[in-house]
Amino acid sequence: MTKTVAMEKMLKKADLAAWMAKLGQTRLFAPALEDEDVWNYMPVADAKAVGLDHPNTIRPPKGFVFPQREVLYKFSQIPSEAPILTETLPDPEPTVVFGVRPCDSRGLVRQDIVFTKEYEDPYYHGRRAKVIYVGQACNTPPSANCFCSSVGGSPCAEDGLDVLMTELDGVYHVKAVTARGAELLAKGGDLFKDASATDKAHVEKTHAAAKAHPQRPIKDLGKVAGALKKNFDSPAWDEMAKACIGCGICTFLCPTCHCFDINDEVTCSSPCSGERVRTWDTCQFPDFTMHTSGHNPRHDLGSRLRQRVCHKFLYFVENHDTQQCTGCGRCVSLCPVGIDIVSVVERLGQP
Amino acid sequence: MSQNAYLPKLGRIAAIKEEVPGGRAIKTFRIEFVNGDGFEHDCGQCAMISVFGKGESMISIASAPHIKEYKQFSIMRVGRVTTALHDLNVGDVVGIRGPYGNKFPVKDWKGRNLIFIGGGCGLAPIWPVIQTAVNDRGQFGKISVFYGGRSSRDIMYKNELDKLKGDAEVHLSIDNQEEGWEGYCGFVPANVMSKTPSAENAIAITCGPPIMIKFVIQNLKELGFTDENIYTTIENKMKCGIGKCGRCNVGKDYVCVNGPVYSWAALKDLPQEY
Repeated sequence: MTKTVAMEKMLKKADLAAWMAKLGQTRLFAPALEDEDVWNYMPVADAKAVGLDHPNTIRPPKGFVFPQREVLYKFSQIPSEAPILTETLPDPEPTVVFGVRPCDSRGLVRQDIVFTKEYEDPYYHGRRAKVIYVGQACNTPPSANCFCSSVGGSPCAEDGLDVLMTELDGVYHVKAVTARGAELLAKGGDLFKDASATDKAHVEKTHAAAKAHPQRPIKDLGKVAGALKKNFDSPAWDEMAKACIGCGICTFLCPTCHCFDINDEVTCSSPCSGERVRTWDTCQFPDFTMHTSGHNPRHDLGSRLRQRVCHKFLYFVENHDTQQCTGCGRCVSLCPVGIDIVSVVERLGQP
Repeated sequence: MSQNAYLPKLGRIAAIKEEVPGGRAIKTFRIEFVNGDGFEHDCGQCAMISVFGKGESMISIASAPHIKEYKQFSIMRVGRVTTALHDLNVGDVVGIRGPYGNKFPVKDWKGRNLIFIGGGCGLAPIWPVIQTAVNDRGQFGKISVFYGGRSSRDIMYKNELDKLKGDAEVHLSIDNQEEGWEGYCGFVPANVMSKTPSAENAIAITCGPPIMIKFVIQNLKELGFTDENIYTTIENKMKCGIGKCGRCNVGKDYVCVNGPVYSWAALKDLPQEY
């Protein structure tokens, strides 16, 4: 969304807190332990405690620009009179999110497409303009269900990020990817040293090693969309969806899923007042598509699993020439019944 | 489109007409924009109507684009919002945003014979096309309207259909015989077959319950209509109207943006998820 720049600097690990302190009137978020083994983006209370060596967060950072619940406007109406509508466009404080993994920033790029095409969503973009993403290259071995490299990404991809940090020995290589990122580095002043040729060679080697880590493969990615189309009526959809309990966790924790509901939340009956609210919703719920008549175009588990997989690997590809899956692996690791999108694609997305 | 597409304009209900009574009640609402702050629309487009405190429903605009003073909506009472709408009175104010969706390519149909086939509430989405064709009568060939309801009580736009005579051939039907009924008895697709309309230089436009559309298309194909000359509209649950919320998604299309109007040539390639 902004012009790309290439500015490479070095920052001592010990100076990360000092850099954060220099960022001024900005909300800072970084991954922290929320519960036992549960990492999540939390407000930075003590910059010294922030480390970027942790497994990926349980939730992607999509809520910073697309919150789970967003008030679109408030209404108040006395019967037979015109209502008073109060627009509630977001105006958040500037925010910097640290520790964003490349799979999640690539998810953001896909959300940008959805919330920009046809019509620029003012709620999404109102927040998007105020959030800066500082990414972290994954240079430790991938988790068992990581597959970013299999869907066109990489453990050190820059798409969607403003800054990419790569941990080297006791030091961070910090690359400004966008002008916003460069401004962020400028605020750190003397804390940053220019990256030398040796540093650049070091980071290249580190990135090459990260890319060399084996991940779950998807064969012939270019042929997946065509195969899914061909297998649209396969009985295997029902079979693979049989265990699904329709909890929707695969979509709520997905960095690219964007579907939502809009409802009225009434707080007072006279005058009739409340808020029109949008909330995350999911194609995995039966009532997502159910018509008021009771007719449901996607009435069974198989058709709903097919929708999730085909949206990501067929329809989005037809519309935007890229997959709507960035291989973060959350839907695989956190599905309570072990439904695995990679296995589904392996079975139904191969010619 | 206004800057914030989610924020509706306001419309005052200028008239309410009870079309069909009973459990499957249909009422027609004429809505005028408050202070003239509204929008224009094309044949086939829809609008999102709000009853504040209840929610929004996507409804096809049943008035023709050349009528600027009001927008007409014929709405069956089925769910939370449509029930609330049926409880409203003349003078009440609702929210209205749109217009959404594509349009019938009426301009491309000049000189063609037009065959309209509607069932139940499905007369509403094709009514603006019928009105446009009649308003511009000289521009089109023969106009036929096939329309059916479950019973004579379920026939909507009775007076308006009467007024079409002279400009159009009107073939009404009801499912079962009733005393005094002079039209056809049986389902809409069978009524079409019984009159064997010619596919020559003709466009067929159909809307109604999914099962009716299915058999109408089958019959039209038998009568020699090509896929390109059959048009219908589909509906799916919708929330945003601007291709983002995802629920009207069918294959690569979002019905609220890429639909609701489809030629059968385009529709048959989409998954049958509508």
